[in-house]
Amino acid sequence: MDLRFTIALIVGKLTAFLLILKGSGATAAPGLYALNIDPDFVKKFSQRVHFGSIIVSGTNGKTTTSRLIYNLLSEKYKIIHNRQGSNLLRGLASTFINNSSILGKLDANIALWEVDEAVLPEIVTSTNPKTVVLLNLFRDQLDRYGEVDSIRKSWQKWLIKIPRSTNIILNEDDPGIKSLEKYAKGKSITFGIQDKEIKLPKTINVSDIKRCPNCGSNLEFSAVFSAHIGHYYCNYCSFRRKIPNVSASGLVFKRGFKTSLTININKKKSKLNLNLPGLYNVYNLLAASTVFLTEKIDSSKLIRSLQKFSSAFGRYQSFEINGKKIIIFLIKNPAGANEVLRTISLEDNLNILAILNDKIADGTDVSWIWDTNWEIIASKIKSVSVSGTRSWDLANRLKYAGVNLSNKNVYKQNNYPIGHIIKNMGTKDTLLILPTYTALLETQKNLSKLSSQEKWHKN
Amino acid sequence: MAQKLILRICYLYPDLMDTYGDIGNIIALKKRCATRNIKVEIVNKSLNDKIEKDKFDLFFFGGGQDKIQILVGKDLQKKRENLINSIEKGAVLLSICGGYQLLQKYFRTVSGETIKGIGLFDAHTEGSDERMIQNLWIDLSKNIKDEIKEIYPTVDKKQLTTDLIGFENHSGKTYLGKNLKPLGTVIKGAGNNGEDKTEGIRYKNAFGCYLHGALLPKNPHFADYLIAKALERRYGQIKLEPLDDSIEWQAHKAAIKRT
Repeated sequence: MDLRFTIALIVGKLTAFLLILKGSGATAAPGLYALNIDPDFVKKFSQRVHFGSIIVSGTNGKTTTSRLIYNLLSEKYKIIHNRQGSNLLRGLASTFINNSSILGKLDANIALWEVDEAVLPEIVTSTNPKTVVLLNLFRDQLDRYGEVDSIRKSWQKWLIKIPRSTNIILNEDDPGIKSLEKYAKGKSITFGIQDKEIKLPKTINVSDIKRCPNCGSNLEFSAVFSAHIGHYYCNYCSFRRKIPNVSASGLVFKRGFKTSLTININKKKSKLNLNLPGLYNVYNLLAASTVFLTEKIDSSKLIRSLQKFSSAFGRYQSFEINGKKIIIFLIKNPAGANEVLRTISLEDNLNILAILNDKIADGTDVSWIWDTNWEIIASKIKSVSVSGTRSWDLANRLKYAGVNLSNKNVYKQNNYPIGHIIKNMGTKDTLLILPTYTALLETQKNLSKLSSQEKWHKN
Repeated sequence: MAQKLILRICYLYPDLMDTYGDIGNIIALKKRCATRNIKVEIVNKSLNDKIEKDKFDLFFFGGGQDKIQILVGKDLQKKRENLINSIEKGAVLLSICGGYQLLQKYFRTVSGETIKGIGLFDAHTEGSDERMIQNLWIDLSKNIKDEIKEIYPTVDKKQLTTDLIGFENHSGKTYLGKNLKPLGTVIKGAGNNGEDKTEGIRYKNAFGCYLHGALLPKNPHFADYLIAKALERRYGQIKLEPLDDSIEWQAHKAAIKRT
């Protein structure tokens, strides 16, 4: 018996128990204490998971993709999953603690981990991965993560060390992700979009890949979907996008936050009508479907499951309070926020509450709002309010985007005017809330106070 | 009506040096001019483009990723002569972070590599292992303060401050030559190097600094100062119309509160 591990587990369990008594939702604390006692806590626990782990990482789409994968594989496996989104090593440790007996026995045979891109190298080496999904890399919280180039470099290092048996799933349309293929020893499988253009309004381009990641020459694009995502080729070396193993085509984005497309898996085509908006969700769905492909399950199950899936916590979540509809779209970096703005710009008469916080988990630098194309929704706005620790920065951004915003609609921290706004809204109106990460958590609390359906967010 | 004023802006490497929301500065210049019925022409200049002699009143040069900076540094050598010439003749320039570094004499990276700058600013930068990442609040140098008090047309004198607030994110430490004045003195944050309390630089009407944020939208006094200086060259002293900057100043104050 491993004494250090056992003590770590007991301390973790006790912490979790005390937190429940206190009614606190701090999901990372038990894991943090356990790791302080046994730094190999996650590694040791991972050895008890029969099929190893499926890891999902990238700047945008981790939560939604993981939840899709969970739904797709839940019949085949008993899955342990850091569903609450605590995606550092301590979050994985907490998930193990909460899902095991006091003896460390797990009721799961595979682990599904959504992993923060900065800690991915450490987690890959600790969790015996069966499959690693790399979604995308965009500029995000530059104050915390540094530049996109440096994250990608750190990924190259562990990819070389990964065993051949590991599936590496890559976004073919992100040249930065695609460039990692040559470092991967294992089998790489790709996903992407085959259309030549995306029928959504254009936004400011916030490309983070300007040059060929292989040879440093100019990288050309025959199609740009979003930031540096699209169909690219280099004129000087052989680096270019190829036809992916799993692809989507015929994308149609519809009002009412719906999308239809044809998915092509191993040359088998199926038409899908989804209750999910936005280009980013198409990529999330393709990534999850690629994982499904590696599992060799009957594909009719895939289509059924995808049709049913609607949303992941806060990423696109709709609900009702006093008969008024509210939809939340998390915004946290320019690439993601621009996709959200493109998506909502399809609608008319927008009622918007945008919340900008600058806490550590949001990024303390709010410069990114200037790389975000608020201009494209300016003419669609019916009412707008802003809030958060940096509400005035956001108010200023909206002013310069040509949005008519009254100073009275700028609210202080923790004083979210949701109740007030929906009272003044017509019955057919929808309120769109666009919060940064910590603001999402606060919004969740405020909404559960307002809503009779308490715990709606526990999902 | 008097003749319509035109402000000619040269946006340097907008496709490559665009990482930290610095485009907000261009958005602010554009809007503040448009509101005053001043026409703005923006010309983008990137790799292999030529800068025409004496064409531009205002240059803007933002920050970018480290790897890109090497590429831009090489290309900038070809633009050196006409760019420096424009500054000598009084054109205005605002450079931030990576742009600021490339306009100095050189940048020595941590690994000992030297990236040559164009030496517009008598200064150099040494790479370090420490990343200076935080809000950066500075008090402007006295001569700039005095000029701003003359130029910034505020409706409400109480609003006017002579500080700047932004966000720094750099590991390079910049040291100024003896004859150059900094843009200001650090109140909170690291500034040029985290050692001597200086932040930024001024040479004639060219400015360099580490202030992202974006800088100009929430420092409207400095935005107007640059606009007036840039127009002055062609049209003589200009009296800018006052604008309602209440949101801008709220954003300014709120950012300082979080510093």
